Amino acid sequence: MKRDFIYLDHAAATPLDERVAKAMAPYYTDRFFNPSSPYAPSIEVRRDYEAAKASLAHSIGARPDELVMTAGATESINLAFGGISGHVVTAEIEHHAVLRASEKHDHTLVKSDEHGLVSAEAVKLAIRPDTQLVSIALANNELGTVQPLREIAEVVRNERRARLDRGNRTLIYLHCDASQGVGQLDVNVARLGVDMLTLNAAKIYGPKQVGLLWAASDVRLTPQIVGGGQERNLRSGTENVAGVIGFAKALELATEHRKYESDRLAQLRDQLEKTLVEAFPQAVLSGHPRHRLAGHLHISFPGVDAERIVFALENRDVLVATGSACAANQGTRSHVLTAIGLAPEVADGSLRLTLGHLNDEVSIAQAGEIIIEEIKREMERVKR
Amino acid sequence: MPKVYVGMSGGVDSSLTAALLKEQGYDVTGVYMKNWTQDMPGMRCPWADDLADAKRVAVQLGIDFKVFDFENEYRHKVVDYMIDEYKRGRTPNPDIMCNQEVKFKLFLETALEDGADLIATGHYARVDNSASDSAMANSSYAQPAGAHSSDEVPPALASERSAEIGRKTDFTVSGRLAQLKLAADTNKDQTYFLYRVSGEALQKVLFPLGSFTKPQVREMARERGLYTAAKKDSQGICFVGQIGIRDFLSQYVEQVPGDIIDKTTGKVLGRHDGAIFYTIGQRHGLDLGGGLPYYVVGKDMDKNEVYVTTNLNDDSLWKPEVELDEVHWINEAPSEGDYKIRVRHRAALVDAHLSYDGDKVILKPTSPERAVAAGQSVVIYDGEVCLGGGIVA
Repeated sequence: MKRDFIYLDHAAATPLDERVAKAMAPYYTDRFFNPSSPYAPSIEVRRDYEAAKASLAHSIGARPDELVMTAGATESINLAFGGISGHVVTAEIEHHAVLRASEKHDHTLVKSDEHGLVSAEAVKLAIRPDTQLVSIALANNELGTVQPLREIAEVVRNERRARLDRGNRTLIYLHCDASQGVGQLDVNVARLGVDMLTLNAAKIYGPKQVGLLWAASDVRLTPQIVGGGQERNLRSGTENVAGVIGFAKALELATEHRKYESDRLAQLRDQLEKTLVEAFPQAVLSGHPRHRLAGHLHISFPGVDAERIVFALENRDVLVATGSACAANQGTRSHVLTAIGLAPEVADGSLRLTLGHLNDEVSIAQAGEIIIEEIKREMERVKR
Repeated sequence: MPKVYVGMSGGVDSSLTAALLKEQGYDVTGVYMKNWTQDMPGMRCPWADDLADAKRVAVQLGIDFKVFDFENEYRHKVVDYMIDEYKRGRTPNPDIMCNQEVKFKLFLETALEDGADLIATGHYARVDNSASDSAMANSSYAQPAGAHSSDEVPPALASERSAEIGRKTDFTVSGRLAQLKLAADTNKDQTYFLYRVSGEALQKVLFPLGSFTKPQVREMARERGLYTAAKKDSQGICFVGQIGIRDFLSQYVEQVPGDIIDKTTGKVLGRHDGAIFYTIGQRHGLDLGGGLPYYVVGKDMDKNEVYVTTNLNDDSLWKPEVELDEVHWINEAPSEGDYKIRVRHRAALVDAHLSYDGDKVILKPTSPERAVAAGQSVVIYDGEVCLGGGIVA
């Protein structure tokens, strides 16, 4: 599809892959049947739905009956937290969905380092005898920093073992919100060592409002939406057949192209980063220099009002996100940037550039030039 | 280069205002005034979007942009005033109060303190400074012909004077200062909302849209590619616009049911849920069933009674004279005589005789004027000059 803009906000939304759209389409029209109905066409639809779930499970190395399909990552997170009654450990820089869900419980927020990295050691120190859930995102949505999930999983496993030895029968689970980064990182649940995993179709060129929660078979979930008893009674409501078919296709494609795509995006991102840093040596890069999502670039221009840059770039058909505050929420800067200790005048000049399918070498080179022009123009204006 | 702070609301009018002033060579800063907003369940006040739009246009124009937070002042001077007036059984106009207290007082003062020489808004009205001693906002300059010529240079500054006014909080100096005049677009004219602004304040005000019609403004905004060129006009004030005044008020006053009484027969016709919600002349919302429409002709706030009639010729609907108090003159008080008056925004200008009774103004329209509720404003004109007005007693 020909597009007349350069899109650099893939962490916010991705366009539906045409192959995904094609896979979904029949389930809105010809195969509209309710998978719970008794006649043959419905049974076929149910079979397709189950096959899609099996494919999703396969992509993350899980069993199909361990998946609960939801209307997106926020719902998955709410479901993961819903059955917990004890203490929760999560990170200060987590997404609001996790932070708000944590606030319903006695909770401890773990600090990250200046790159947004949450260390396994810090998580270990925060765990108490009554901690029932540790929830850490696979990658931070603002900075792109990838967390050491395997190490954190090790900490949780050790805690579990120690509790057994001590006769403490409180269960402890590790939940990972992997919505950000699923297209670029390995999300095999066994390799990650997590007990629950949240995924979202919308970030991998699938449909919006489709997500899943995988929970290991020993995790007891409490349904947050009750009704007809779909999804093993854990999430009622007629199945979003088309959405789940699309999700399966999207995850299949993402897994298949992950290696190639993450290498490609890392190259493009590094090129853009180099161009911008050469033009503005005072620019501040945030996020971990090495453990960072391939397409993710968080860059701050101290003293510049990033929201003005977003509007100026919008005018040039380049779509980017501010890394922090906008005028409408004066004074409330991004909690992530505050948490990693970014000074206000740096945080306010932050752009989040996230690359993806819509970008290639030509468009990234163009975007680099346009961004430089607009930031220079703004710096000139402020100087006057 | 005079420094102008333009009140930018995120709408097309104030966007073009900023664009025109910039083209004329002014040093323009856009200012979004954050007024009081209230979160209503299920309603989204669009102020955040409006602020973003205002800033977008400022970026397009390459001008500075600021946010002035007037939430507390707006709450006290406009919202509380409005609720109090309704509680007294009157029908106030919050837009008039907003202009008097916020836009042409607080905004003006804050802007001048911040280094501005002038302020501007997207109101459809004209300021004539030719008779005043201010050289700053001369009207020919404030009314561009839409030309883009860049060799026009703004007039010299009377800077001592601007500094002096900046510190004043009382604009009640008498004598002829700047005149407020009808907009060229008589359909859009907003002088009705501006009659309580002082002449001295007007010396510091530019209304670049006063000589254009609304369609011209849209066209000029479109020509300039302004982001807001096609944006719909906002409906009313943010905090009541979306839900309506009735729902808004019911959050602040108890709903106490009372009788609806036929004024002529004295018969109780039905029940209402609070006299406060009714306005003289109102026709709708009485739920009295079929037949001829009923009109509200009076109410007794103490007894919580609303009086209605089907008689369109009822005396209380057609008053031969209107008494105004809280009278405000933009410049000096006019002498007794014949003038034009306007009883609500966009109502036709009608002839009336003006006389004084102490502090009060008595207006006798040539032909009886249809019900004007207590608390509403009547604005007085001499030709195209808006002289001021008062509030129906």
